[in-house]
Amino acid sequence: MLQSLFDSVLSVITAGNPVLRLIVLVMLVLNALAVWQVWRGSMGVAGSVSPASRFRTNVASRFLVYEVLVIGAVVMLLPFYWMVVTAFKDGETAAAFPPYWTPTKIQTKAPHPETGELIRVVPQAIQLVEGEEIPVAPEQDVRFRRVERGGVWQTLELPDPDSIFMANPENFVTNPIMSLDARNFLRAWYRPEQTSRGEVNFLTYFLVSAGTSVAATTGTLFTSALAAFAFARLVFWGKTVLFYLILATMMVPGQVLLIPNFLVLSTLGMLDTYPALVVPWLASVFTIFLMRQFFMTIPEDLWDAARIDGSGRFRYLWQIVVPLSKPVFITAGIFDFLNNWNSLLWPLIVTSSPTKRTLMVGLQNLNDEAGTEFHILMAASCFAILPIVIVFFFLQRFFIEGIARTGLK
Amino acid sequence: MSAATRRKLRDNLEAYAYLAPAGIILIIFWLLPVIVSLAMSFGNITALQPLEEFRFVGLRQYIEAFQNPAFVQTLWNTTNYVIYSVPATLVLALSAALLLNRQMAGRGLFRTVYFLPYITTWVAIAIVFRYLFHREYGLGNWFLGVLSVDLLGFENPIRLEWLSEPRGIWEMIFFEPVFDRSVPPMPLGLDNVVAGPSLSLFSIIMTSVWRDTGYFMIIFLAGLQNIDRTLYEAASIDGANPVQQFKSITFPLLSPISFFLLIISMIGAFKVFVPQFMMTPGGGPDGSTRPLVMYLYEEGFTGEWKLSYAASIAYILTMIILGLTLLQNRLFGRKIEYGN
Repeated sequence: MLQSLFDSVLSVITAGNPVLRLIVLVMLVLNALAVWQVWRGSMGVAGSVSPASRFRTNVASRFLVYEVLVIGAVVMLLPFYWMVVTAFKDGETAAAFPPYWTPTKIQTKAPHPETGELIRVVPQAIQLVEGEEIPVAPEQDVRFRRVERGGVWQTLELPDPDSIFMANPENFVTNPIMSLDARNFLRAWYRPEQTSRGEVNFLTYFLVSAGTSVAATTGTLFTSALAAFAFARLVFWGKTVLFYLILATMMVPGQVLLIPNFLVLSTLGMLDTYPALVVPWLASVFTIFLMRQFFMTIPEDLWDAARIDGSGRFRYLWQIVVPLSKPVFITAGIFDFLNNWNSLLWPLIVTSSPTKRTLMVGLQNLNDEAGTEFHILMAASCFAILPIVIVFFFLQRFFIEGIARTGLK
Repeated sequence: MSAATRRKLRDNLEAYAYLAPAGIILIIFWLLPVIVSLAMSFGNITALQPLEEFRFVGLRQYIEAFQNPAFVQTLWNTTNYVIYSVPATLVLALSAALLLNRQMAGRGLFRTVYFLPYITTWVAIAIVFRYLFHREYGLGNWFLGVLSVDLLGFENPIRLEWLSEPRGIWEMIFFEPVFDRSVPPMPLGLDNVVAGPSLSLFSIIMTSVWRDTGYFMIIFLAGLQNIDRTLYEAASIDGANPVQQFKSITFPLLSPISFFLLIISMIGAFKVFVPQFMMTPGGGPDGSTRPLVMYLYEEGFTGEWKLSYAASIAYILTMIILGLTLLQNRLFGRKIEYGN
C-alpha cells in the first residue's frame, strides 16, 4: 500500500522532461517570491518602509513586469517568426511534427553508382504538359524558369544537373539540413494562374491592389479635404443638418451597402472592372470628420491674412490649410489606404476574373487551392504582411498618434 | 435682389461646390443604398431575375430569417464571438497599457511589438493561424504535447481538433451528459449559449484577441497619459497604495473611454467576416463559426443570390449596431471628472 503510493508519487516526480520541469519549477518559485515581496511592499505606507525593503520590492516588481511583457512579446512575435521560417521549409519539414524551429529542408542523397559518394537525388525529367516530358540537360543550370508551351505558361523547377543519376530508392539517405532556400517565394509568386489569355501571378495582384488603393486614397483625401473645409470654415444653408446626416451614415454598417451598390454597378455595367474597386470608396465620412476637426483648430487670422494678400478660398485651402494639416493627411491616408488594401468582401463580390483580383482575393484563392501546403501559403502571406510592416516602421509615429487621436475623440 | 442676398447666394453655391465631389459619391454609394436596401428587404429580388419582377412581400424576409435555424445559429455565433473576444481584448489591452505606463527600458520596443499584429492584414494572419491551429502539425497541438507529456508527465499527449471541433468549450471542459445532444434542444438556441462558442470559434476568438490587443493598448496608453500626474502624487502622500490608486484614480478616470471602446469594438466585432471566412471556409464544423456577414455573403452573393433575403439580414445587423450606438450615446451622458 505504502509502496504503491510511493511508486505513484515517484512516477509523477520522474515523469516528463526533467530539465523543462526544473526550469518551470524555478520560475514558479521565483514568481511566488516576487509576488510576495511586491505584495508586502505595497501594503506598507510610503515612508515607513526601510530602503532595503523598498529596493527589494522595486527589483521584484520590475522582474514581474518584464516577465509578463516578455511572454506577451513572444506570443505576439511567434506567429510572424513561424510564418517566415516556414516559408523557407519544404513541404515535408513544414508538415513535420514535432516541428523544426529553424528553416529546414529534407535532403535526399544516395551513393553514386560509380564513385559511391553520397550525392543529392533529383528527378531526371520534368513532366510538362500531359504526356510530354522535358529531359533535363546537364547544361541547364537555371533552377527556376518560366516557359510557354501550347499557349500555356508553366513554371519549371529544374533540378541541379550534377545530381541527376539513377539510384536505387532503397539506398536513399534522407536527412534534414538547415537551408535558406527562397524558392518557395517563387513557387507562391507564380502559382496562381496560367491561363491561355494571359499570365496572372502575384505581380498582377500587387499591381491591382496598389493601383486601386492609391487611387481610392488619393481621391478620398481630395474630396474629403474639400468637404471638410466647407464644414469647418464656410457658411451655407443646411450646414448643421448635412453634418448630422453625414455623422449618421457613420453608424450604418458597410454591409448594408453591399447589395444596392452591387446592383448599381451591375446596371452601369461596371462589374468586374477596376473602377468598381475604386469609385464607391472615393469619399469617406470618417476622413471628412477627422479633417474637419483638424481644420477647426487652424486660426481664423490666417484666412484674414491670406484674403488681404488677395488669395481666394480655394488657394487658401491648398496653399495654407493643407500644408498645415500634414499630420492629419498622413493619418487619414494611412487608414484609407489600409482599409482599401485589406478589404476582402467588396473585391470578392464585384470582381470575378483573375486579372482583377486584389492581393487579398488572390491570397484567399490560394488559401482555398493550396489547402495544407503551408510552406507555399506562408511565403504568400509574407507578400501581404512584409510590405505593410516595412511601411509601418517608417510611419510608426503617425500610426500610433493617429490611433490615439481617433480613439480618444 | 440686394447685393447682400446675391453675395450670400454666391457663398452658398461656393460651399456646395466644395461639398459636391464627396457629396455625389456619398449620395450614390452611401445614402441611396441605405434606403434602397431597406426597400429591397421588403421585396423578393434575387440577382438571377430581372428587377421588374420586384414584388412587395412585407416582413416576410425577416420572418423567414428568424425561422431559419441556420440564421439563428449565425446570430448566436456572432454574439458569442462578440461577448468572448471584446472583453478579453479590452482587459488584456488595459493590463498591457498599465504595465507599459511607466518609465522603463524597452518601453517603445514592447509597444511596437504588441501593436505589430494589428497593422498586418486579417487575410494573411488567418492563413498563418490556420497553420498554427492545424490538427496534425500545428504549433498549438505541439504546445499542448509539451505541456501534457514533458511538463505534467502524462502518458499520452493532449491533442485538440482546434478549427474542426464543433463542441462548445464549456461543453468540452465540463462533463458531457449535461449537454446530451439527443435531448430536444432548448428554445431559441439556448443550447449554444450554455455550451459556449465551439472550440473552432474559440480558436478564431483567440486569433482576434491576439491581433486587436495592441490597438486598444495604444488607446488606453493615450488615456492613461492624459491623467494628471499630480493626482497620483497627492494620493501617495495621503498614503494610498498602488491598488487603492488604481481603484480611485485610474479606473474612474479611464472608465468613460473604456465604455466608449467597449461599444465601438462590439460594433466592429458584430461585423466580423474575414477570420471566419478564411480560417473555416465552409462555416466551420456544423456551421459553428459562421458569422452574420458570412451568412449574408453566402445567401446573397453565391448559390441562389437571394438579394432581398441578404438585405433583410443586413438590416438586422444594422438594428443591432444602431442599438449599441444609442446605448453609447446614453452612457456618454455621464462623465466622471476630477478637479475644477
